[in-house]
Amino acid sequence: MAIKITKLDKSYGRVIVLNELNIHIKEGSIFGLLGPNGAGKTTLISILNYLETKNKGEITILGKNYDNDKSYIQKNSSYVPQSYAFYPELTTYENLEFFAALYKIKHKDMKKRIQEAIIMTALEKFQDKQAKNFSGGLKRRLNIAIGLLNNPKILYLDEPTVGIDPQSRKYILDIIKNINTTKNTTIVYTSHYMDEIEYLCDEIAILDDHHIIKKDTKQNLINENSLVKIVLVDEVLEINTTNGFDDLINIFVKIKKDNKKIISIDYGTKSLEEMFLKITKQDLRD
Amino acid sequence: MFYYILKKEFLLLFRNLHALLVLFIMPSAFIIIMSIALQNTYSNSIDVKYKVLLSSDEKGKSISDLLEKIEDNNFFEMSYMNEDGKDKNILYKEGFDFIVKIPSNYLINIQNNKDMQIDIYTKPKSSIQTINLLKSLLTANISKQIIKSLLLQLDVDTTQTKDFTNNIVHHYISNVHNFKVTSVQQSVPSWLIFSMFFILIPISNTFINEKNFGTMNRIRSISISLFPILLAKVIPYYIINMVQVCFMIFLGVYLMPYLGVDALQIQGNVGLVFLISSAVSLAAISFALVIANIAKKSEDATSIGGISNILFAALGGIMVPKVIMPERMQEISELSPMSWALDSFLEVFVNGGTMSDIQNSLFKLLIFAIICFLIAYILLQRKK
Repeated sequence: MAIKITKLDKSYGRVIVLNELNIHIKEGSIFGLLGPNGAGKTTLISILNYLETKNKGEITILGKNYDNDKSYIQKNSSYVPQSYAFYPELTTYENLEFFAALYKIKHKDMKKRIQEAIIMTALEKFQDKQAKNFSGGLKRRLNIAIGLLNNPKILYLDEPTVGIDPQSRKYILDIIKNINTTKNTTIVYTSHYMDEIEYLCDEIAILDDHHIIKKDTKQNLINENSLVKIVLVDEVLEINTTNGFDDLINIFVKIKKDNKKIISIDYGTKSLEEMFLKITKQDLRD
Repeated sequence: MFYYILKKEFLLLFRNLHALLVLFIMPSAFIIIMSIALQNTYSNSIDVKYKVLLSSDEKGKSISDLLEKIEDNNFFEMSYMNEDGKDKNILYKEGFDFIVKIPSNYLINIQNNKDMQIDIYTKPKSSIQTINLLKSLLTANISKQIIKSLLLQLDVDTTQTKDFTNNIVHHYISNVHNFKVTSVQQSVPSWLIFSMFFILIPISNTFINEKNFGTMNRIRSISISLFPILLAKVIPYYIINMVQVCFMIFLGVYLMPYLGVDALQIQGNVGLVFLISSAVSLAAISFALVIANIAKKSEDATSIGGISNILFAALGGIMVPKVIMPERMQEISELSPMSWALDSFLEVFVNGGTMSDIQNSLFKLLIFAIICFLIAYILLQRKK
């Protein structure tokens, strides 16, 4: 298990942000953390990166105790914030060099490690360019590249595709998939884009009302929400449409043949976005 | 690691050089303006003399002598009106600073102990020091006339009597021989200190950008002490402060004479100037780091830092010399780090002071720097 959180509490004064939150994240998985604005996603990621203190609860990361093994955990994890957390006046290489030094990468290994991060994020052509002149997509890639310098076992990505065009988004998602598959890095990913979560993540959790209200594998969630419920006078039929609509068509043909009366049809929620809105009650969160 | 942190700070600094220009332009302008504006404060004459109208029915040698003697003082330009100046509006109409109304037969009246009054009319803006100077000159010269008249009555020859004023000579006591106090001597250290404290603006700008862009959070998430991060900010700005010191001294020594002002003299030990500059720089940078930690936006840092710097300067004798402050204010001014800095610089520049003369002020500046740095470090650590 990469991360195990048990009964985590966090509040700011009287405002409760996280209440008895439990999560288990498998090693080598891409874990999608969903939640409306203010649900506590960033607070949770901040606690895991020692940027916020927790009030109560047990956390184990990479088999180590959160409270006792801070140094080990920090060395083996990396946090990519939502904002462009680098120096715009510096070039790609200078930024990476600075952060590599903070990660205490030895001088003789530094060049190699920087080049690896540059290649992983396809920044070769831009290594001597000042980051302030970059497009949104390039800035996002540099943000991720910095997070790869320490070869992290866990990589936290907090909304890493905000404000960029669809082409750059797709490019970044492929980079993230590549990091996960080639390095077996556990990735904790937060985003508001459901299609990204659906594309990337193996497991998905929805955080709302201060705790995890839904957590399952992507496949189970899609299956669960791909059921078409047909209510007849004397029975209810549930048809799974995950693998296509052939079964559904056959059922309709049979109902017609048997001359049965349909009372209602619930089409389920095919997309993760609909499911998310359904689970989080569609309330506007400010 | 520290090398790369330092390298980053230098790169950020040199890629934003225009932000540093204010640190050189502002004090240069202040030094030039204030040195020229205040040059008469330290000389025996002034360029624009006070215009005095002496109004009296009295004619003759006593009045012309009085006019001549007062004008000899180099501070007053005397005019005479042979009538009782009842129209006091002449003060404004003719642009006089003073009207002195002397009654006729004033010498006889004084000698005979008769009621007699000399009136001085002036504008509300006239300083009490200037009024007192004019009163003193009138008193001294009228007294001389009376004594002369009495001696004549006693048949004593007064033609050989010298003017005793010339026998009173003032001396500035300084460790430096033949030292001359000038406005440049006061202006250069004052505005140099003021500008060194304005290092706050570039420091807080880079620091607040680091906080607001999330870079500082990212650094916090890495297993690293924040001490070297903070320490690396001191070194480049210390160098900038030292360049400021060299530039301002160069300005005082070589440029000011071309503007018709006396040159800055550094008869004291240059090593002490470096030592004081270093202490001032450390105090200014550490104070800037505290403000940068407290402020959320660059605008906050500029206003909080700007106001505190101006208060430090006003209290510390940068804007108003401490010697003219009332005793209570002088005591309060001792709380300003700019006052400790100015005392040290003046001690070396004006008095040619030694280490023992400045060690108290240096100690206070260094303690201030250490306390501010520790506060900045604690604030940075605690900001979660």
